[in-house]
Amino acid sequence: MAMGSSRALLILSNFKFKTTASSSSSSKPFFPFKTNLGTRNFSTKIRSSLQPPDLPRLAETARISLAPNEVEEFAPKIRQVIDWFGQLQAVDLDNVEPALRADTEGDNLREDVPETFENTEALIASDTLWNLGEPSSNTGMEGSFLL
Amino acid sequence: MTVGRLLSLKVSVFLSSVPVSVHKQTGRILHVRNGVLYCTMKSSQSQTATQEKQQPPKVKVPQHALKKTVDKITRDYEAIIGIETHVQLSTLTKAFCSCPYNYGSQPNTSICPICMGLPGALPVLNSKVIEFAVKLGLALNCKLSLNSKFDRKQYFYPDLPKGYQISQFDIPIATGGYVDLDLPLEFGGGHRKFGITRVHMEEDAGKLLHSGNGAQVDLNRAGVPLLEIVSEPDMRTGIEAAEYAAELQRVVRYLGISNGNMQEGSLRCDVNVSIRPIGQSEFGTKVEIKNLNSFSSINRAIDFEISRQALLLSEGQGDQIVQETRLWEEGAQKTITMRKKEGLSDYRYFPEPDLPEVILTQEYVDSILKSLPELPEMKRRRYENMGLSMQDVLFLANDMNVAEYFDETLSSGADLKLAANWIMGDIAAYMKNEKLSINEIKLTPKELAELIASIKGGTISGKIGKEILFELLAKGGTVKGLIEEKDLVQIVDPVEIGKIIDKVISENPKQLEQYRGGKTKLQGFFAGQVMKLSKGKANPGLLNKILLEKLNAKN
Repeated sequence: MAMGSSRALLILSNFKFKTTASSSSSSKPFFPFKTNLGTRNFSTKIRSSLQPPDLPRLAETARISLAPNEVEEFAPKIRQVIDWFGQLQAVDLDNVEPALRADTEGDNLREDVPETFENTEALIASDTLWNLGEPSSNTGMEGSFLL
Repeated sequence: MTVGRLLSLKVSVFLSSVPVSVHKQTGRILHVRNGVLYCTMKSSQSQTATQEKQQPPKVKVPQHALKKTVDKITRDYEAIIGIETHVQLSTLTKAFCSCPYNYGSQPNTSICPICMGLPGALPVLNSKVIEFAVKLGLALNCKLSLNSKFDRKQYFYPDLPKGYQISQFDIPIATGGYVDLDLPLEFGGGHRKFGITRVHMEEDAGKLLHSGNGAQVDLNRAGVPLLEIVSEPDMRTGIEAAEYAAELQRVVRYLGISNGNMQEGSLRCDVNVSIRPIGQSEFGTKVEIKNLNSFSSINRAIDFEISRQALLLSEGQGDQIVQETRLWEEGAQKTITMRKKEGLSDYRYFPEPDLPEVILTQEYVDSILKSLPELPEMKRRRYENMGLSMQDVLFLANDMNVAEYFDETLSSGADLKLAANWIMGDIAAYMKNEKLSINEIKLTPKELAELIASIKGGTISGKIGKEILFELLAKGGTVKGLIEEKDLVQIVDPVEIGKIIDKVISENPKQLEQYRGGKTKLQGFFAGQVMKLSKGKANPGLLNKILLEKLNAKN
């Protein structure tokens, strides 16, 4: 578990928490959308501050194991990160068109021309990738599970 | 049967996933097990039905008797049906990498770091995917979003290499469309229009192959482009749903964007069914059904599910209908619960940071609109306006290649109805027997038109026409050539026919006497002999006319 938690620490400290209302999970369940497409729900003024996530649940969905003391330790740090974004809510966006994305480059498309990747053996070799020391908690399998 | 009367029959009805109904007259409980209907009798009196060995008296009730009872119950309810369809696009490469995709390849031979989700690999969108998405959006009469984006749909599963699926969440490429279709005549016919909520682009996951010691992953299919089509909940019956799916198949094949094969998995449908008492505005509980591998499964699964829900509701057991995903079991012909509890899915959608916005220009959209082929609905309306019957219309417009063949035959000058009849009749039968598509038969549309004209113009008889059709289908060649080669020109000269008839009559004096003695049925015998002598070339009408004259003449 020590290795797991230190890895979790590493990830969390570098954690760029991208938040939109669609991903700010709280304890209420999130269903695939059913809203009308005209409104965008990340520039809402209804919430004056963003809710911090239910940390155990967040860790569960991200498959990161946290000990109870780690939950206690990280909760305020994550809360702080969210509050930084909460400050952005103060900006008046009434006269600004919502942007779909933050980038300004145009599209980056590729022609529909096949290219076979050589050396697929290396890709599926069991010692290359899957030897992370612990079996995946999802599948309970060790070693290569690529056919 | 009203709900009240049903409840008053003090019969203990066992409810599992098995539909049960009570027969009005006899009070017998009817249920289905392993696809066979059984009827358990309440009283021990012997009935007229057969008994099964030593088992408790059970009667196999014909399907239609059960169906009538179930129909009575379901009549009080309205079914609300929606369908989510995934279409696998027939691009040469995957959505975000240049790996080729071929159905049935050896596992894990068409993979690369991108579709495997290896660290550092970045997706690059295949331009064909946008083109196909726009084609489909336009064909389904949707509004296109000139600006859309990709999002990450995050969940963990062994066949999802990246731990997320690149999809489109809140800004899909197309929204708000519809399909027009005509229900087949054997199901009552009628025109329908079903709404399309949205169409969006996404990628497929890999395949899990289950073996003796667990499951293994084949990533050949991971990253293959899909278009997801979500319908409005406009369908009301199993047959409407099946026809909707069939029309989507027709459209994607006409557009050439997918081979739309349910068996191969290039067209996948998940169905959502709920029912509510007629008149109620509130929707009932929605149940999802998966594992539908054919249009008829869609039809039957929905009808089953409607009956299951109606029976539960009519017996006051509506709370047994839960929002869940059920699997259609083709063998047992019923839906069953998926055992494992899925839990609430929190996909944590957010914009895919590794892909730029998808921007369409109006010019691009217009150029694609111009390039669209004549779509099934337009073809059906055109054929209908030409005067063909609905039955002909539905057959000819179903397969794009058949329609093209038909159109070409017409443009070579063939008569409309005759061309339709030949294609739908003898030619279709030949294709079925030989397992050939219309592109593989040797008869060209031009020659078919020639054949039709030759018969219509009297050059050859209809019978001869059918005979040489077979050779033309199998070996090709020209109609004119065959007629000449085999000397098939019809004899229409009465004098010549008369000569042949005279010969036949003179060679069969006994039959002539019998005929004149009253056995008029022998006319057929004479006609046959004349045909034989003329090698089938005598015009049947003339033959019989002259034959009759000669037979009845007082000689």
